[in-house]
Amino acid sequence: MPGNRLESSNMVLRAAQELFPGAVVALGMGLPCHLPFELPASGGVWFIADSGALGYTGQDNDGVSVDAGGSLVAMLPGGSFTGVVDVAGILRGGHTDVAILEPSQVSTKGDFVHWTTEKTAGLFAPGSAVDMAYGSSTVVAVMPHQGPGGRSNIVEKCTLPVDGAGRLDLIITDVAVIKVVASGLELIETAPGWAAEDVISITDAPLSVSSGLKELTVDIPAIVPPNKVYPSAVDALLDVPEGSVINVDGFAGPGGMAHYLMVGLRDLGVKNLQLISNTAGVARVSAFGSPNIIDHSILVENNQVVKATASYPVSPSASRPSAFEEAYNRGETDLEVVPQGTLAERLRSGGAGVAAFYTPTGVGTLLGDNKETRTIDGKDYVLETGLRADYCIIRGHKADTLGNVVYKGTSRNFNPVMATTAKVTVVEVDEIVEPGQLGPEEIITPGLFVDRIVVRPSDFSAYLDI
Amino acid sequence: MESLADKERLPRDIVAMRVAKELPDGSYVNLGIGIPTMVSSFVPEGRTVFYHSESGILNCGPLAEEGNEDIDLINAGGQYLQIIDGMSFFDSAEAFAMIRGGHVDVTVLGSHQVSATGDLANWMLPQRGVGNVGGAMDLATGASGVIVAMEHTDRNGEPKIVQECTFPLTGKGCVYLIVTDLAVIECDGHGLTLKEVAPGWTPEEVQQLTGAILAISPDVKEFEL
Repeated sequence: MPGNRLESSNMVLRAAQELFPGAVVALGMGLPCHLPFELPASGGVWFIADSGALGYTGQDNDGVSVDAGGSLVAMLPGGSFTGVVDVAGILRGGHTDVAILEPSQVSTKGDFVHWTTEKTAGLFAPGSAVDMAYGSSTVVAVMPHQGPGGRSNIVEKCTLPVDGAGRLDLIITDVAVIKVVASGLELIETAPGWAAEDVISITDAPLSVSSGLKELTVDIPAIVPPNKVYPSAVDALLDVPEGSVINVDGFAGPGGMAHYLMVGLRDLGVKNLQLISNTAGVARVSAFGSPNIIDHSILVENNQVVKATASYPVSPSASRPSAFEEAYNRGETDLEVVPQGTLAERLRSGGAGVAAFYTPTGVGTLLGDNKETRTIDGKDYVLETGLRADYCIIRGHKADTLGNVVYKGTSRNFNPVMATTAKVTVVEVDEIVEPGQLGPEEIITPGLFVDRIVVRPSDFSAYLDI
Repeated sequence: MESLADKERLPRDIVAMRVAKELPDGSYVNLGIGIPTMVSSFVPEGRTVFYHSESGILNCGPLAEEGNEDIDLINAGGQYLQIIDGMSFFDSAEAFAMIRGGHVDVTVLGSHQVSATGDLANWMLPQRGVGNVGGAMDLATGASGVIVAMEHTDRNGEPKIVQECTFPLTGKGCVYLIVTDLAVIECDGHGLTLKEVAPGWTPEEVQQLTGAILAISPDVKEFEL
């Protein structure tokens, strides 16, 4: 007779070994929801619940906040609340590192059935499990190895409609840990007292046994938040490769523009940059700017820009051309003009994992030419694609060390939406504070979108003589 | 005989004043740059209008006084604003969801050209080769109603109201009312109807400076402010 089976709480704790500092972790209904109640509150990972709680623990409760299952939880310092659309964007836009689900059945190929049971076969009710399965980098199943009557929950082929096809990476049961690999299922850990043969004998799918097979433990890893604070703009942008696509924040004037990071990018001299930004640098040539203000022109004049995607790329006055317009007229840069709302929505979509969308803006105009069109309910639309970037430089007012950002007034503009679109998002702020000093209702950009933080030196002026 | 080109036209603030009359009580309104910006100064007493700006504000107030400018508080034209009660801030995606989702009731825009079928061309002069579209296309397409406020003719005296636009379009068939320094003209998507003329101007004179055929409303009258 093999050893005891793991208690549910220990199955869930085993899943914690898959987490890492700064990981964004989505939890499905059932066992996974218990993880924040079992794991010491370290603030090292971001639990996200469909209820809109981001960064919480179950070790305490504040009497107000709830998780996806409706249980009371407490927000951690640096936690924040989001609406359902933002939750969906976090789940679907590639921002979730690990999803932990409790399927009812899993297969050799990594397919899984979440909610559907024999009794509810006609009732497909996936909740957000499907979003988690398709949007997360790693998907972990936590489930009992066997169902009622000793029936294996691990099968060669699912017998019910699947909620995620081939999406599972790891299966944690009450007797084993099984990895989903290209050739099928690989047994990598067994519960104390359980031999590989014991596990194989109760599994209705072929299992290969890892050469590194070991005993399943529930040691709780200490997870501390990663350090996001960089000493300078140059340090924060040191690894930007030539040819990068870079989102540059800002509306048009000096407000909400990351001048310090822009100067850092200029000083690094990285070439062949493709900028996505509302303007291509007009603050120097506009009534609301000034000739010695820092804008995109410093990168253009340093021959670093090969393309701009913008809604307001050139000077309002043809007789006062910007550096970008002059470079464009010399044939040195490409330009894609995008209506401002379409630009914002393309960024929002890119950040939320939406590949493309239909919009009426631009139909019948130069900017709708050569785009796929479609008539929906008698109205014409053009297809616009979501935008992603390699890096993004944004300007906040304050950030905490976890990367949560607040803005001031109209300087918010493109910042929050751009922050969701890049592989590496760097924020420049006036001040860095400790987690908890920005309230959960106050935070506009949750720290999970922000990778690096720099403080704009107090003596740094947007009007520096450069 | 006096040339029509030299004949006195209405000043810009009167055009703005006439447009202001069109804004419904309680409406959400986005004002473009130029004459449209001036409209907010003339909203009739007792009427409340909420202004939206693409810079990420709802309920924009008056311009900031000199010396009190704040770079974190601007409208879409880059002008500095005062903080007022009930003002709210949001990001660009939300600012444009308001426009594109039909939540802005009226937008007032300037234009290079407007066609007989209400096409709008206001973002690009072909000879420059590049143009700033900004939020114009989103406003033209997404706002529930588009009013154009502009001079009746361009600086060379050429009509800005034309049978068909020759400049790149901003939106098709989106304009429902044109207010110029000579006339108030309704657009129903098929043609133009002259409703009001500037003091001292006859419908025939307005027609002479218009590049599209105007139906003269049976109750055509002088500008009503």
